[in-house]
Amino acid sequence: MNENKIVLANADEAENKLVASLTKDDFQFVQEQSEIHDQAFETKPISYIHDCWRRFAKNKSSIVGGIIILLIILYAIIVPFVEPKAHVSQRDFPNGYQDINFRYATPYWSIFDGTGFWDGTTVRTVSENDYLIYQYDDGNRPRAELISRNESSQTIGSTVLTTVTYTIREDTYAIGCKNITISQAEYQRLTQYEQEQGIYHTENSISKPFVDASTYLEGYRAQLEEEMANGANLTLPLIDGIIDYMSNYYNQNPNVYFALTAKNPTTGQYSQNRYFPVLDANGEPVSIYAKDENGDEVYYRPTTNEVTIRVDYFDWFVYRYGFQPYSLFGTNAQGQDIFLRLAEGARFSLILGVCISLVNFIIGLIWGAVSGYYGGKVDLFMERCTDIIANVPSIIILTICQIQFLNNYALNSALGSGGMIILAVLVAFVYNGWTGVASTTRMQFYRFKSQEYVLASRTLGARDRRLIFRHILPNAVGTLVTSSVLMVPSIIFSESSLSYLGIIDFASSGLSSIGTLLNEGQQAGLANYPHMLLFPCIVISLLMICFNLFGNGLRDAFNTSLKGSED
Amino acid sequence: MRNSKQMLSYILQRLLLMVVTFLIIFFVCFILIRLLPIDPATGAGKDPEVFYMMQVNMGRMYRGEDGQYYDVPVLQQLWTFLCNLVNPASYIDSNGQVQYVSRWGYSWQISWLASPMEILGRQLPPTVLINVYSIILSIPIGIGLGIYMALKKNKWQDSTLSVLVMLFISVPSFVYAFLLQYLFAYVWNILPPIRADFAGSWFTWDMFKSMILPVLAMSFGSIAGFARYTRAELTEVLTSDFMLLARTKGLSRSQATFRHAFRNSLVPIFPMILGQFISVLSGSIIIEQIFSVNGVGALFLQSIQMRDYDVFQFVGMFYVLIGLVGTLVVDVSYGLVDPRIRMGGKK
Repeated sequence: MNENKIVLANADEAENKLVASLTKDDFQFVQEQSEIHDQAFETKPISYIHDCWRRFAKNKSSIVGGIIILLIILYAIIVPFVEPKAHVSQRDFPNGYQDINFRYATPYWSIFDGTGFWDGTTVRTVSENDYLIYQYDDGNRPRAELISRNESSQTIGSTVLTTVTYTIREDTYAIGCKNITISQAEYQRLTQYEQEQGIYHTENSISKPFVDASTYLEGYRAQLEEEMANGANLTLPLIDGIIDYMSNYYNQNPNVYFALTAKNPTTGQYSQNRYFPVLDANGEPVSIYAKDENGDEVYYRPTTNEVTIRVDYFDWFVYRYGFQPYSLFGTNAQGQDIFLRLAEGARFSLILGVCISLVNFIIGLIWGAVSGYYGGKVDLFMERCTDIIANVPSIIILTICQIQFLNNYALNSALGSGGMIILAVLVAFVYNGWTGVASTTRMQFYRFKSQEYVLASRTLGARDRRLIFRHILPNAVGTLVTSSVLMVPSIIFSESSLSYLGIIDFASSGLSSIGTLLNEGQQAGLANYPHMLLFPCIVISLLMICFNLFGNGLRDAFNTSLKGSED
Repeated sequence: MRNSKQMLSYILQRLLLMVVTFLIIFFVCFILIRLLPIDPATGAGKDPEVFYMMQVNMGRMYRGEDGQYYDVPVLQQLWTFLCNLVNPASYIDSNGQVQYVSRWGYSWQISWLASPMEILGRQLPPTVLINVYSIILSIPIGIGLGIYMALKKNKWQDSTLSVLVMLFISVPSFVYAFLLQYLFAYVWNILPPIRADFAGSWFTWDMFKSMILPVLAMSFGSIAGFARYTRAELTEVLTSDFMLLARTKGLSRSQATFRHAFRNSLVPIFPMILGQFISVLSGSIIIEQIFSVNGVGALFLQSIQMRDYDVFQFVGMFYVLIGLVGTLVVDVSYGLVDPRIRMGGKK
């Protein structure tokens, strides 16, 4: 008690000293010239949308999801414009780009060239006869490289059968030579081009000499008969068989340009169905090109208006169309480019998904708003209707619509087969797709309609329409937008599942969705052509994942109760 | 006592509502399906006699006294169908024996003149077996993962697993199916790509081996679903006040978690499990198609592709019924396990 007083006395003393030391110069007016007013806010007000955006931007995964969705959308929009294969002339490809010669080609990306991964090659095991085609080829690019030679032997009774197979890495774009028919003028242009390039009738020329198997086989038959006369292990029926089978072989493989023999060089045995190339002194196969009367190789065979020529198909393709046949995602059974088709399919699926979601959203919103706002008997009745509608699987409706529409002649002529299937899909997906939105809306209306601010507005004489659209709906909009964004992937998923199963048949009317591509991949066989399923699967998985991430981000962003909880 | 009475009346009320809903759906679908045209070419071949015979036997047409065939009105067809359902009409066959017509119509394409009921009975075992295996696999793993994630909340284990769960929920099941089939069956050659034998017993080792892939493909999604749901429920319970009370009264963390938190978090999971058990009967069409399982889903697909309307209608209604019963059981079981949402007590 006493001490405190002393301290206080001391403080007073110090203060008095300080006051005494002040002079007039130490003072000045704070606001002598300036006006006195309230300070403006230094921070900007945050609107609801801005607040949502801030919360959304904080969520990294949904931003990434959004970016990937955007990339897929860009892919779906841009690729059909810039891809040269999308702009081939109607005359060359009446149904859009497809080249049956390049069917089942594997994915090729130029940066992986020669690595064995994503470079248009595939590993195959082929029989000895088939390996000949890959081993010797007069095309301009190597068709395959040998990985290993496998021998397996099987003992049947006293004989040992040895089967040799070859494992090769085949370049699916180097398909060798093909016979094609073109017009006279086109042939002259090709000749001119080859002369300009200095490859006319050389090893690297586009057009190659014809193979004359029949002349060779005549000579070979005479040779075999002579060998039989000299005591070789041959009979006349066997010779007939050899010539027949070999003739078939030449017909089936127009690439084989060299002489074949049926005599096994190691064992000296003759066989109907195993052939060996006749090699010259350098180890090169002896060619059997067709010769004219002057002994020159035959490069073209004219018919009435056209010429048949034998070309290295890859080089011919590049010369003729001006772009390489390489496809980033490979090709399908019809030789269509999957990269292009997937872009078109993704575009179609996305448009379908967004349109159906939009329609579902609008119907569900109105239905749910009426049912939730009015409540009571109206609600009970509408709920029963929703219950009945929601419990019929859309697959039943889809099937019924498809069969009914396909048999409706008037509809068929008005919309075409593609339009009809789209209509059936629309009906089936809209039929019970909106029930989810309706129940969400109904719940939101139940939540908000009994709150005081609505009551206040009603007391002031606001009409139902104003209460619904001005007061209740804006509060429910976040939840509703989220649920309709999440509806898009689920529609894409069900659409692609159903087209995969073949219940929705877009392909026959020239449309394609992601599911159509999956269906094609399934028909081609997963074991042999996995690339046909791989890329559509990747795109659809990415779409599903990213839409879910994006939707979850939106849900958190619109949820104002999370405001500030993460800061 | 009063409570259980209310519960019973609630169940009865829901049951009645379900029956009415089902009947309305059935009538509408019956009429829509009966209105579908039959393509003579795919239906009965090109023979008009056979075509009309078939139409008559399906109850779609009748032969007038003048020897011409006339359409039967759809509502009359519905009435005939309902009459046959309750009391099948009889006829005398060529051997002079009394035969009864099938209650559920006939299959015309899949299995000539078999009853859809019979065909469904034949296709049910593979579907049920695959689904049961899938449930046995997915419920313990899913719930276990969920508990683990909830206990390790916001640690690296939780975040890694959450990403995985998110992936497995989003990626469509046919993508895993392709992946599994390609890797295990075609690349590594360990498991058969499709169902092994079509005649043997269901419980042989070969059959089990051929079912591994479809079961896995079916399970991934539901494992992820269960894990996410369990995690969400358990984290909510773990942060609630009674957990604090349990710790304060002296329980250890694990005791409190298992005796209080886990039990409470199971309340909403239990109906989910029940729902899963009901849906055992309905196969996944796409998985059955990929692995060539001849189950219910495959039957449904076949009936659509072959336009076998009676089978289509029967299997379709089977799906509707399973859906309705599933919802009912889930709703009722919510009331049973959780006294707070006992719907009967609401009014």
